[in-house]
Amino acid sequence: MTALLERTTRARPAAPARKPAPRKRRRDRAGYVFLLPWFVGMLFTIVPFFASLYLAFTDYNLLNAPRWIGFANFREMLADPLLRQSMKVTFLYTFISVPASLAVALLVAMVLNKGIRGLAVYRAVFYLPSLLGGSVAIVILWRHIFGANGIVNDLLGWFGIHGPGWTSDPDFSLSTLILLHVWTFGSPMVIFLAGLRQIPVMYYEASAIDGASKWQQFRSITLPLLSPIIFFNLIQSLISSFQTFTQGFVMSGGTGGPADSTLFYNLYLYQQGFSQFHMGYASAMAWMLLVIIAAFTAINFLAAKYWVFYEQ
Amino acid sequence: MSQSTPSRRNLLKAVGVSALGLGLTACGRGFGGGGDSSESGTVQLNMVWWGDATRAQKTQAALDIFLQENPGITTKTEYQDSGPYKDKLATRFAAGNAPDLVAMRTDSLREYADRGSLLDLNKHTDQLNLTALPPNIRNIGAVGEQLYGVPSGLNTIGFVVNKTITDKYGVPIPDGDTWAWKDLAAFAKEISAKSGKKVYGTGFEAGTLANMVVFTRQRGEDFFTDDGRLGVSEATVTAWFEMIEKMRAEGGFPPAGFFDNIGSSSSESPLAKGTLACQIIPTNNFLSYNKDAGGNLALLRIPGESTERRRGQTIDTPHLWSVSAKSKHPAETLKLLDFLVNDARASKATGTTRGVPVNPNVTKEIASTLALDDQVATDYLTKLQTEKLLRSSSNPPGASAIAASLKTIATEVEFKRQTPAAGAKAFVAAGQKALAR
Repeated sequence: MTALLERTTRARPAAPARKPAPRKRRRDRAGYVFLLPWFVGMLFTIVPFFASLYLAFTDYNLLNAPRWIGFANFREMLADPLLRQSMKVTFLYTFISVPASLAVALLVAMVLNKGIRGLAVYRAVFYLPSLLGGSVAIVILWRHIFGANGIVNDLLGWFGIHGPGWTSDPDFSLSTLILLHVWTFGSPMVIFLAGLRQIPVMYYEASAIDGASKWQQFRSITLPLLSPIIFFNLIQSLISSFQTFTQGFVMSGGTGGPADSTLFYNLYLYQQGFSQFHMGYASAMAWMLLVIIAAFTAINFLAAKYWVFYEQ
Repeated sequence: MSQSTPSRRNLLKAVGVSALGLGLTACGRGFGGGGDSSESGTVQLNMVWWGDATRAQKTQAALDIFLQENPGITTKTEYQDSGPYKDKLATRFAAGNAPDLVAMRTDSLREYADRGSLLDLNKHTDQLNLTALPPNIRNIGAVGEQLYGVPSGLNTIGFVVNKTITDKYGVPIPDGDTWAWKDLAAFAKEISAKSGKKVYGTGFEAGTLANMVVFTRQRGEDFFTDDGRLGVSEATVTAWFEMIEKMRAEGGFPPAGFFDNIGSSSSESPLAKGTLACQIIPTNNFLSYNKDAGGNLALLRIPGESTERRRGQTIDTPHLWSVSAKSKHPAETLKLLDFLVNDARASKATGTTRGVPVNPNVTKEIASTLALDDQVATDYLTKLQTEKLLRSSSNPPGASAIAASLKTIATEVEFKRQTPAAGAKAFVAAGQKALAR
């Protein structure tokens, strides 16, 4: 997200091509200086990154030296019922929570874009959950709110409804986590808001004169002009959602329970690596996840040709 | 107008960069690195265990005595909650940064011992004297001829009954030495009925391995056989699930989803909240449960001990003490371990937070100094020790995976996603697979 904002703010003075070259070079240099911390951080990830690729082809129990076993880990993955379960959980979570949170984010952004007073305050209030949502403290808080004897069931009790164990019942536990994810709609919302503000008002004025309804304006002006932003948010959310770990880990106390209903792919990966001492298998799983994410991102980029509209 | 929305190229780059960033973000947390020697001449020992702040205070009190007598040694201790302990320990060993003295889960012992990560204590009997320990106790940490851990203390599981609740509803407590499982069911049903289900008669997790192991032994089967295979039969697992589901249907046992994993400490237990009249606990936690539940708990044996085919309860340990094979200071570490095991002053300081001392001479010596609640649990255990019980067992590699799959399947049975028989079948299949791996 920061990268996008940086790009957009920088792109503005840059666009006219006749700007003198030295200035451009200086600006680029400044950009690289700002990127420096990222490059330094990169050094610490690049080694484990390639080490895990090697480990994916080994039998490695953390305590003894890894032993080369070729594709055996990948073959084992095909026949692993828990891996299938973890994929089911992750896909279900991703395909429900990503569209839902983007829809909520867009809706709230459009309401806030009406130019209401105290926008900055609302923006901050709605943004807050996305800073907190992935944190351990908030998940623990949710666990208490949605516990069998938590606040939610107390409230329902007033209306004579006997609520289920939102986190202890395998039929509800994943839905509770999806709700938690939707609640953190703040960061796509802020990006939507920035995008909405850049749509020139004159389009709306012109279409209003032609008698377009609000819905027509939304369909024919807002959506197309916002589509690159939607696309960006979609990719971002998909990637982070495939990597969900904290929520499942904390909510279930690390087990992925009840009955494996919150066994996210990354949680299962972690269990294999650090609890079951199958680090080779866990590494293979990590690379499989990378392939899955890359595939979904690629599909999205291909599909983008048909619905993302660049106004140039 | 062309600048009003980000250009396609810039957008692609932005997505690419942030995707890479997300992809490469790894989470790196763990214990801090263990320093070696702080100044020349002194040796620093790193000791890790799980537990709460009270246990930490008591442990430190024991260490203080040791440190005072051994000026050349310092200790760096680390403790944390039991849940994530095991994962962090694995990381420490993997990083070549293993602690010197380690609290080892009995179901993880083989995972470390079989891979040469632990010191064979039988080779160091000159520094660590274990002759006072009964063979049955020493066996808990043995793998074949080797010894990779010493029990940190002795415990077993027991049924605690809140007498305040039974008095309130006028339900007599069955005789804890002779009660059968059907007596528990009748007792539980009566409590629930008389309290209008404000208090459930009993509740324990069907998915906790230690509970089912006792039930299995009572039926004449070993949960794990001596040659490391799964000994429990489908019929037994089915009977275990059916017994609990029957109590649930009768109302004596709380509805599905009652145990919701909010916390594992005694203060967060249903017993402390007054929603259960009795539950199963490890006996070394009796003191803290009694404190949190109002101080009026009775400690009973597991039902069926005198009515089923044979005894099910055994003497176990909360955890073993193991020494890392890569410890740079094995002599000093063994000296510390010897102090913890054989010196009565150490056990006086720790009380029975890790159970009754493993050395019977120490138990005798400290008996009169124990807190009253520690006394209750100690008497319970020492009495049990004089009886003819099955051998305390050690766990084969793969035991922790079996514990995890039991939890999953028990939940499915609890929520009626599987019948007890289907769950039992799935569990035995998963267990056999985990042990074969």
